[in-house]
Amino acid sequence: MKFSDIHACDDWLSCQLENSNAVHAASAAIRGQGIWQEVVSGLDSITVQFDPARITPNEAIDLFREQLLKPQTAAVRPTARIIIPVCYDENFAPDRNWLAEKMGLSTKALMEWHSSLQFTVTMLGFMPGFAYLQCREDIVDIGRLPKPRQKVDAGSIGIIGDQSCIYSFSSPGGWPIIGRTPYRLFDPDRDEPALLSANQPVSFQPISRTEFDAIIREQGQ
Amino acid sequence: MTLTVVKPGLQTTLQGSPFSGHRHLGMPAAGAADCLSLALANHLVGNAAGAIAIEITLDEAKFTAGHPSAIALTGAAEYFRINEKDQPLHELLYVKPGDEIDIGPAHLGCRSYLAVTGKIDAQSLLNGQSTYLGAGLGGFQGRALKVGDIVEWTSGSAPTRTGKKTPEGLRPIISEKYIIRVTIGPEFSALNSSSRKKLFENKYTAGSRINRMGLNLQATVLETENGSQMQSAPVFPGTIQCPPDGEPFLLGPDAQTTGGYPRIAQVIRADRHLIGQIRSGSEIQFVKTSNERATGIYRQKLSLLTPWLGAISLW
Repeated sequence: MKFSDIHACDDWLSCQLENSNAVHAASAAIRGQGIWQEVVSGLDSITVQFDPARITPNEAIDLFREQLLKPQTAAVRPTARIIIPVCYDENFAPDRNWLAEKMGLSTKALMEWHSSLQFTVTMLGFMPGFAYLQCREDIVDIGRLPKPRQKVDAGSIGIIGDQSCIYSFSSPGGWPIIGRTPYRLFDPDRDEPALLSANQPVSFQPISRTEFDAIIREQGQ
Repeated sequence: MTLTVVKPGLQTTLQGSPFSGHRHLGMPAAGAADCLSLALANHLVGNAAGAIAIEITLDEAKFTAGHPSAIALTGAAEYFRINEKDQPLHELLYVKPGDEIDIGPAHLGCRSYLAVTGKIDAQSLLNGQSTYLGAGLGGFQGRALKVGDIVEWTSGSAPTRTGKKTPEGLRPIISEKYIIRVTIGPEFSALNSSSRKKLFENKYTAGSRINRMGLNLQATVLETENGSQMQSAPVFPGTIQCPPDGEPFLLGPDAQTTGGYPRIAQVIRADRHLIGQIRSGSEIQFVKTSNERATGIYRQKLSLLTPWLGAISLW
């Protein structure tokens, strides 16, 4: 695997990789080794944290380099595609109308277009279970809102172009919002607390407000 | 055992050890912002260093004891009173039912830790119990304490030795000035050459945007080279980022797991507990250190603490 020089801080190391596929492969392989306190992926980099009472930064660099040099072809397990239901109601999609206008589509066509797209999870970050998604098709650059919102509701789906995201909790946020899923992106009581994982294929399925409410009820609370 | 909240202050939360091993899911560390003061308070009452305690921020906070309990206070509080009578910080004390516990506002510094003997009830998740306010998880219903809340715990065995005190030499100095050692971050070279010097030559003042997620640093604006755009990359508590406005941002325990701004420096693990005591207006001088030196400093600090606290780690 090609990688840049390893940068070391006193208890973590960082290394840039060629692309997100290389990041997924490396993080899956390295996490399995159980040496590190944390193995965290960026969009094009990977970082490991260690206990400086136990190993020195130089020892850590040697270990990390050795791990990155190992062939990692077997490490990437394909993750099952997940279809995420989305309600595109205006109440849930405050930016729907201007997004449709910007793309020259009717609001109905916007929903059809969005739910026809294929995405892959590039990484989780920002908040527990918050997912960054990359679209496989080219999408016109939309950009972030000029002024971030004080509150974006949990389940909101943001889009800024090829990149999309799903908010796992209510939080401030600057991504234009195209719809909302009733699915819970992070539930600490589940065996796998995060609904999505890096490298997972994702697509969206339109649902009505009634269906949205029904799924919320089924999930409880 | 119970404590009833009479006055919660600015932000009082249940905090202990951080969450570990879940940053790839987007789960921040959370946990006590000043882990050393937490460990010292817990040790006085006979708890493990990372046990859940009550973290109090800046303002005065008051509680009423519901049962006979052993308690200890460490950190930034200007005074500590039980039934209006002054009591020492860093000392094991006993309260009886109905006693009023008054924790003074921080005169210098920012946070105080009230530990009680035993195991405080707190929401468990991902092998941790600290409060992560951003997502409303852990601690006391995932939130800061409010008037009337009752903090409950199952009693442990209180140390029988009365007058147990933190040795003077181990008490953290709570100050308005901090020297904080850092190592160079992966995107340090995103700074232009004069800013690379300024980061260490000039002093910084902590700005007004201070919370558990981090704090802004004012006085010297840094400039990045053109084209310092980067892809979102992992960050940690103690990472110093340089946003486009050039005002460095020092990340705290609740910082998100990834960020898109150049990571220009990283506070060394040995000094990270100091971040929890920085308040608006505190003066900060960053000192550049090598990784080897940082490891030495950390191990030396642990060996100073071990005779009193036992084997511990800082975060």
